[in-house]
Amino acid sequence: MFIPYSVVNPLITVRIPRRLPRPGEVLVRLGETVEPARIVAQTVEPADFCIVDVARELNVPVKKVKAYLKVERGATVSEGDVLASRGGLGGQVARAPINGAIMGSGRGRLLLEAEPQTVQIAALVPGLVVEASATDGVVIESTGAFMQMGWGNGKEAFGVLRVVVRAPRHPIRTKHIDAAAQGAILVGGSHFDEETLEQAIAMQVRGIIVGGIPPSMIPRLEALEFPVVTTEGISMAPMSQAFFDLLRSLDGREVSVSGRMRHRWGTERPYVMVPMPARGAAPVNPETPLVVGSRVRVLRGPYTGASGVVSDIPKGLIQLETGARLPGVQVDLGGKEFVLVPFANLERLL
Amino acid sequence: MAEERTIESILVADCGTVFTKLLLLESVEGGTAGQSYRFVAQAETLTTINPPWNDLTVGVVNALEELEQVTGRRLYGAGRLITPRHGLEGVDAFVVILSAPEPLSLVIAGLVREMSLESARRAASGTYTTIKTILSREGSLNSPQTTWSRTVRDIAPDVVLLVGGVDGGARRPVMELADAIALAASMLERDQRPVVLYAGNAELRPQITKLMGDITHVEVVDNVHPTVATEHLGPAQTALEQYYIDERMNAAPGAETLLAWSRLPLLPTATAFSRVVNYLCRREGNTDRGVLGIDVGAATTTVAASFEDRSYVTIYDKGIAYGPLEWVREHGAAPLLQWLPEEMEEEELLMLLHNRELRPWTVPQDPRELWVEQAVVREMLRSAVDMARPTWDAGKINAIPGMLPGVDPILISGGGLVHMPRPGQALLITLDSLQPTGISTILLDINRAAPALGAVAGLKPLAAASAMESGTLISLGTVISPVGKARPGEVVMKMRIVYQDGGSLNVEARYGDMEIWPLLPGQKATLELRPNRRFDVGLGLGRGGKVQAIGGLVGLVVDARGRPLVLPEDPDRRRRVLHGWIWDVGG
Repeated sequence: MFIPYSVVNPLITVRIPRRLPRPGEVLVRLGETVEPARIVAQTVEPADFCIVDVARELNVPVKKVKAYLKVERGATVSEGDVLASRGGLGGQVARAPINGAIMGSGRGRLLLEAEPQTVQIAALVPGLVVEASATDGVVIESTGAFMQMGWGNGKEAFGVLRVVVRAPRHPIRTKHIDAAAQGAILVGGSHFDEETLEQAIAMQVRGIIVGGIPPSMIPRLEALEFPVVTTEGISMAPMSQAFFDLLRSLDGREVSVSGRMRHRWGTERPYVMVPMPARGAAPVNPETPLVVGSRVRVLRGPYTGASGVVSDIPKGLIQLETGARLPGVQVDLGGKEFVLVPFANLERLL
Repeated sequence: MAEERTIESILVADCGTVFTKLLLLESVEGGTAGQSYRFVAQAETLTTINPPWNDLTVGVVNALEELEQVTGRRLYGAGRLITPRHGLEGVDAFVVILSAPEPLSLVIAGLVREMSLESARRAASGTYTTIKTILSREGSLNSPQTTWSRTVRDIAPDVVLLVGGVDGGARRPVMELADAIALAASMLERDQRPVVLYAGNAELRPQITKLMGDITHVEVVDNVHPTVATEHLGPAQTALEQYYIDERMNAAPGAETLLAWSRLPLLPTATAFSRVVNYLCRREGNTDRGVLGIDVGAATTTVAASFEDRSYVTIYDKGIAYGPLEWVREHGAAPLLQWLPEEMEEEELLMLLHNRELRPWTVPQDPRELWVEQAVVREMLRSAVDMARPTWDAGKINAIPGMLPGVDPILISGGGLVHMPRPGQALLITLDSLQPTGISTILLDINRAAPALGAVAGLKPLAAASAMESGTLISLGTVISPVGKARPGEVVMKMRIVYQDGGSLNVEARYGDMEIWPLLPGQKATLELRPNRRFDVGLGLGRGGKVQAIGGLVGLVVDARGRPLVLPEDPDRRRRVLHGWIWDVGG
């Protein structure tokens, strides 16, 4: 059986797709070197629109609407502009409800379309463009430390990493967020609360990386402008030691954080990447088998987030606390703590 | 038929949302019974339809390699499944069932919520669909056409199911909806435009086709509500299922390779499962009971029912991993928390549900997480059956108002139920959520092979029937659920259990209690039931009689807890009661 994996690696080469949400225009060429802030592709979001039922508003038959129109197809109008009017005492008018252009007419109605919004995608990571389609986006190859996260709020940023706690079990508190946090991407241990989030917003932090967040904060975090990513999903558990150790070793370096994820159908995982001026680092090998000595993380309680190494792969089934008997392994969590974990609740750390 | 006789080994690939399972069925010499079939091996791995693999065959090949290790037989070579069989290598036939692809995203547009829109919803529930929204002008004088168009454009669904108006009835409101849908479609890129399935007022078909035919593909089927009093779901259901097969199953990454290896078209898992339920219904031959099948998967819960040779399939778009969070948004967390035998804050519950969705392949290791999983299964089951029940016509089958019609057996399948650590827990969950009445046997599809058997039935019915009779479906026990009202502790039924060996046991069922009496798997007994005059055990109010019962992994269960089942409001008392029930069924 496949054992899923997460990458938590100090030096690898990765290929990062940068795709547009809908077809658009790619602005870089294959083989080009890009910096994180470089816009690599752009597209136009569908504009807002509205239908103005002129016949109803003027109270005239559909066939007679044309005679009362004050605008033509293609005309640009502002909110409140008169689109059609029926003169005389007690005359009625139809006004534009939004700024936009007249894009269509028929059956006594006008279609108004607002100015479309342009959406741009930055490279986010520095590297080489190794794939570039005409309309969908690019793939950038980059080298450095790379970590796949458990949850993200959909936002992205590039900034300087700043580890503000001493241990993976420590939450970020308001006292950790001082003037030096401005523009930084903060690393905490377990989680943070609403008050700390207020402080982070006030101090204009550029991102937060923690072990987990409580479910009640999800809507608030999804509305933020900066990324929040977690290593353990939705949780109050400490950050996995393997992740914390690597992040701590990267304190002060520039980091790219992507909190983009899709649930269920098509998995885009949030990630943290710290680019390094290195060449020739190998990509991870997802086929790496699970053997005694493999680094693993536990995904379910009572050991959620604990990371360690496989110390034994028993031949038979292991008995779980629930009474279920399943195939699994013994994991050495360090500190002479050995636990039995079913394969289903394991993740290889590559 | 000559070809059918040569099939001695059949491999079934069941590609679910999370797991891909391979089951190998082999012909064995059955002595006087002649040729029979058995499941001889199985292998399971993660489904690989999504990134980073994007190819269903990766998971199938991985499971094939596992199966080769188990059987010591070569099944895969030169980049493909070895078929037909050569000596000890390969298999004679390969069939594939799928529930892995993303469901169709659907927008339903119509007029009256209780009529055409409800019918459209039922039609949609027969296929793997997700209803994104329902457009209707109910409650407003003006048609919110801008809002409708914006909604359809922003969602860009696969299909818009447009209904409304009985045949010869309402015209203008239906055309207003059609107008808005046409406008929305025209604003989308050509490859993003939804197919419009029109199942409304038949008189409007030419106008609908004329309005939208140049903009997008329009398919016209019979009206789902042709008259005020009639509902006609078949054509709309068939069109949706065909669209799912064409656009989702056959277009799934890797499906082309699997099709090339297989002898049959890819089959939706729910369709395959319902074949087994139909088979059970025909086998039992009961005219006074139907048959019910429940398959609780990671992303969907399938309810298949068969009454008097009419069969029904309902796919509820929530399972144990994907859907519970949305369910909590719709119903609140209290209905889930009430099933926990230990205190838990809502925040902790939500955390577990979030992480279950993020890592759907994991299993509960901590007892608290197991209680949450079981609570989720109960409520998904209950919601799925609530959705399915209005689509059933149980005919003359005894149905107490508001209760499940008489069904026997009840087949339970899917990872959500089969993976319970103890069989009694699966039985208790089934009783708590379905609340059957009268006498029912609960069958557990212990290897989750029922959908596979349904698929095999399309290739070689004898093989499917033979495998089913050879222990694939295991009885958890016979359950007797007397229905009526009494004071707690009052005797509601007396029962004499007469075992095959002549031994007997006289027992009483008290209101509010659940008791389990010994009846081993395969063991038969005659039950002499004597309910009190206010209780019905499925034989009529106050009427008793002799019935045959077959034992199971749990035994003979008398569930006199009452229908509907009401949990104590006081949290401490409720938790004690729940602990008691868990204890009753074996922990």
